[in-house]
Amino acid sequence: MGAVTYPDKKVVKFVDYNFVPVQIEISNTALVNEFKVKWTPAIFVLDAEGNEVHQVVGFLPPEEFIPTFMVAKGKWYFNAEQHADAQGMFEEVLREYPGSAAAAEAVFFLGVCRYKASHDPKPLKQAYETLTAKYPDSEWTKRAAPYRLLNV
Amino acid sequence: MALNICWLNDLAKAKEAAKQAKKPVLLDFFNPQ
Repeated sequence: MGAVTYPDKKVVKFVDYNFVPVQIEISNTALVNEFKVKWTPAIFVLDAEGNEVHQVVGFLPPEEFIPTFMVAKGKWYFNAEQHADAQGMFEEVLREYPGSAAAAEAVFFLGVCRYKASHDPKPLKQAYETLTAKYPDSEWTKRAAPYRLLNV
Repeated sequence: MALNICWLNDLAKAKEAAKQAKKPVLLDFFNPQ
């Protein structure tokens, strides 16, 4: 990550704008044990109270790092019940990085956000249909499978 | 714009900064070797 992804200009700008970044060496056994880190790189997104929002283990190139952590930022908004901001972040992932590995998760959470905002179950079924059509092999398509039964 | 990511090295300070900035913390565990 330190050789390829973190020096990338787009990544620097993205991290600076969206996060407070902190880097901890694995020699810090107290934090390594607290977060149960068994392999690096291990990257967590936390809220200001330290609650985990998202976790990734392993290398991500810049073109996957950005959408992956856009989804994480969207989940941070979602957890804070800032559904419009969360929705905006998931929509941006699908607009800018539709072919990324994070896109299917963005479709799933976009459907959930739209449901939360409207209390209309239609977006959940739409999310399932989009996932089936565009990301049929994704775990998020399986997680959305119950929504196919919604009578909307 | 910064040329590099300005990493903090103290999680407690990062959480405090996150509260002020209303941003999440990006916590990266790394092996320097």
